[in-house]
Amino acid sequence: MFKYTIKRLLQSLVTVLVVATIVFLLMRMLPTDYYFSEDQLMKLTEAQKQEQLAAAGLLDPIPEQLVRFYGQILRFDFGESRRIQSGVAVIEVIGSKFTISMKNGCIALVISLIVGVLLGILQTRHKDRLLDHIGTGYTIFVNAVPSLVSYSLVLVFGSKVLGLPSIYSSRRPEVSSILPIVCLALASIASYALWTRRYMVDELNKDYIKLARIKGMSSKTIMVKHVFKNAFVPLAQYIPASFLYTIGGSLLVERFFSVPGMGPLLTDSIIRYDVNVVQTLAIIYAALGIIGVFLGDILMMLLDPRIKLTGRGGTR
Amino acid sequence: MAKEPILSAKDVEIQFSLRGKKLTAIRKCSLDLYEGETLAIVGESGSGKSVFTKSFLGMLDANGSIIGGSIMYDGIDLAKYTTEKDWMTIRGKKISMVMQDPMTSLNPLKKVGKQIQESIELNQGIKGAEAKKLALEMLEKVGIPDPERRYNQYPHEFSGGMRQRVVIAIAVACRPEILICDEPTTALDVTIQAQILNLIRELQRELKMTVVYITHDLGVVANVADRVAVMYAGQIVEYGLVEEIFYNAWHPYTWALLSSLPQLGVKGEPLPTIEGTPPNLFNTITGDAFAPRNRQALAIDFEEEPPFFDVTETHKAKTWYLDPRAPKIEQPKSIRMLRDKMKERR
Repeated sequence: MFKYTIKRLLQSLVTVLVVATIVFLLMRMLPTDYYFSEDQLMKLTEAQKQEQLAAAGLLDPIPEQLVRFYGQILRFDFGESRRIQSGVAVIEVIGSKFTISMKNGCIALVISLIVGVLLGILQTRHKDRLLDHIGTGYTIFVNAVPSLVSYSLVLVFGSKVLGLPSIYSSRRPEVSSILPIVCLALASIASYALWTRRYMVDELNKDYIKLARIKGMSSKTIMVKHVFKNAFVPLAQYIPASFLYTIGGSLLVERFFSVPGMGPLLTDSIIRYDVNVVQTLAIIYAALGIIGVFLGDILMMLLDPRIKLTGRGGTR
Repeated sequence: MAKEPILSAKDVEIQFSLRGKKLTAIRKCSLDLYEGETLAIVGESGSGKSVFTKSFLGMLDANGSIIGGSIMYDGIDLAKYTTEKDWMTIRGKKISMVMQDPMTSLNPLKKVGKQIQESIELNQGIKGAEAKKLALEMLEKVGIPDPERRYNQYPHEFSGGMRQRVVIAIAVACRPEILICDEPTTALDVTIQAQILNLIRELQRELKMTVVYITHDLGVVANVADRVAVMYAGQIVEYGLVEEIFYNAWHPYTWALLSSLPQLGVKGEPLPTIEGTPPNLFNTITGDAFAPRNRQALAIDFEEEPPFFDVTETHKAKTWYLDPRAPKIEQPKSIRMLRDKMKERR
């Protein structure tokens, strides 16, 4: 098990590195003009520009630049922002925004896990009755209606009825984060409920549930001791995926509520060709996804004794 | 058979609702079960063997229900039980069941020992280390070597035969009085079958259980059963001691069933099969349900349902052939042959 974990960890790191390489190479295809801030672009002469580019090593052969780039990554040095905050280290530009996005993302994840799974359990208990239909209706609604529409509904309800702030304010970060977090959780709640219900109903129809009943177990105990635990195993796979989804969703949600998170920063930096920032954000998003999948695999392995992936192939 | 039956099902009717239609799976079926005996219920797929016995412990699917008759056990009518709470007083403790497929009967994510222990804790009010000790004993009792190590393993680490042993351990962990074995060896390979049958027999002797086998393997029946009941289209059509059914059957369906025994086949000739298909249980059945497939059916077979006629005190058959007014009908040659063949073998 230890060996497998280490192996998967190394694989994940390699994947991050591959992503970083691809992003880096793509960025190098952009004209070098974007290396300069808008100001500099106006004032500097062509010779001065070339001089600066050479000094920054941007005129070196690509393989050489790549090796240097790897070195920088290992030192967590992602260069400087050129346009968003000219001259400031990318890490600093992203830093506070990263914290906000992650905090909201994590809270949304925890909420959606709890609410979604509970809803799924309730739906299973009340299968084909009113509560189940309500849950299904919710899932369909969230998936079918464009997310901006459901965000608007949350916004209207939250601000008009509950009086919550509709725009993020750094003076009241907690209260003004409520609505963005609700919006982030909206879709994941639906998918957790859907999958929980689906897997629990699957398990309920299996033979071992019959044997559990035959040996005199009550359906409540069966739900807790057999069905839920077994249904949670395939569900565990979805946790990282939905975490990604939550972070990905933040692109839209953060813009919608003017939350100063990574989402708006990504779009801004792309629009303004802030190469280093785009590069770094792309790596961060990729790393989050890869770490998520890695954690999902480890979680599955811990929960399911049948999965003992050791080296060659799997046993599933 | 002066003994009082331990369980007595009378005129049980079971209906399923399927897509708005009613299917009568069991049509006024009666059965007495005597303490310590081994009864085999035989019949083709869909004859209701499983459904009938499942109703003894309330394990019918959600869309099925007992709509008539009674199942008397220990002075209580089980047919009146509706809530899970009622059934929990019976299941595992008094009546238990072993299902067909050991590959799917165990929870794949739970240690095998724990699954046995669960049953003990549930029904005997013992917890923790003491229950574990009993679970280990149970594992040993069903012939699993090295129980201490096996206790901590998961089902996927067991072979099919071993899993069936575990399933049996779970089923009998709380010493039920009646054990229903629903085709317990169908999913296992032949060499393992005999072992499992032996195991059940040993446990039956040790725990003084009454065992009901559901099977369509007449070989198994000949091996293990004291009595045989033959089911067709939701009814028991003939029952008797195992020799009586094998050597002196009277119901035409039993004849057909026995004639298709591979042991009776003649080299080079195709095995006899039963022509036609069983009746559609969505429809009402008049007369003898087997009549349309019976070449020698009497006119009355199509009109009126036959009652049970006594062949001996223990052997009864539900066929008009035994009515004194019926024309003289001889048992088919193959049945007489079977008698001789079996005698030869002994």
